[in-house]
Amino acid sequence: METKQPKVYLVIPAFNEGEIIVDVIDDIKKHGFSNIIVVDDGSKDDTYEKANNVIGVTALKHKLNRGYGATVKTGVEAAKMLDADIVVTFDGDGQHDPGDIAEMISPIVNSDCDVVLGTRLLDTAGMPFYKIIANQVGNFFTWLLFGIWVTDSQSGFRAFSRNAIEKIKTKSERYEYSSEIIREIKHKKLKFKEAPIKVRYTQYSMGKAQKQTFTNGLKTLFKMVWNLIS
Amino acid sequence: MIFGLQLYQIIIAALSAVMIYKGMAEYIRREAGQTLLKLLVRLVVWGGMGAVVVFPSITNIFARVIGIEGNVNAAILTGFLLIFLIIFKMFSAIEKLEQNISMLARNDALKNVPRENNSNKQ
Repeated sequence: METKQPKVYLVIPAFNEGEIIVDVIDDIKKHGFSNIIVVDDGSKDDTYEKANNVIGVTALKHKLNRGYGATVKTGVEAAKMLDADIVVTFDGDGQHDPGDIAEMISPIVNSDCDVVLGTRLLDTAGMPFYKIIANQVGNFFTWLLFGIWVTDSQSGFRAFSRNAIEKIKTKSERYEYSSEIIREIKHKKLKFKEAPIKVRYTQYSMGKAQKQTFTNGLKTLFKMVWNLIS
Repeated sequence: MIFGLQLYQIIIAALSAVMIYKGMAEYIRREAGQTLLKLLVRLVVWGGMGAVVVFPSITNIFARVIGIEGNVNAAILTGFLLIFLIIFKMFSAIEKLEQNISMLARNDALKNVPRENNSNKQ
């Protein structure tokens, strides 16, 4: 008997990625995934227009910049409306390799778990040292505050089953969203796995001003604590 | 010195009275955003400030009640607590506003989600 193929949706949060967004989309399509949702988070460049001109892409736009977490949430809500069975979140700066998507969704397709977290830290080749340290600090505080240890709590490459996206409720707007997902996995007792992913640290992705800096890291930590006490 | 009060005492007491009057008037008129909690906070903060300025000796009673030696220490500690509470309240309000803005931005963006994926887009 023929089994129904799950509907996989790629959610790409993007902010000022006009230079690269079409390449990212094309790269994903080349790997056989055509359901793509790009959410432009109030970019000042032509990210939205470029994504919207690509055939088959659902391009959405926040009129105001609301942050990474709010943008991913919009994409996930759109995927729900489009009856997605599996949702994969994928960074818009080209750092993730679409060749990893099939491996990421495989445990969900096989009903082994509800969430697969892409982890950059199982193979750190090519990753700048300060990023390794920063990610480990993020992992430590995620464990300290939410009681669950993962090897890459700040990774933006994740896959969720329909069950998971229905259960996960987040309110974080910015980068603390990543840790909130880990908290939700624990609270909602979702089964998760970690899968090694390749990372392409290009001059473009490393040069972006809005990426996690030390100051942003402190803000993220403050927000994580604040969300616990407020 | 007027009526046994220093000038700074008169100014702060008058300011406290004006702020309490405004708060009560706004609450009675049921202006937008005026809650009983807000009125109570205003009464405690401005009323407390006015009372301490006009009757400094009440800080001794206050110090005994909360168990801190020295009325000035008790007043400073209480001040810190109140400021902390106010900041907490402000952060909560800002957070709520931020979430509401995100929700509006999201709802607006989601209006463009097609009923079926727009694979026929030219």
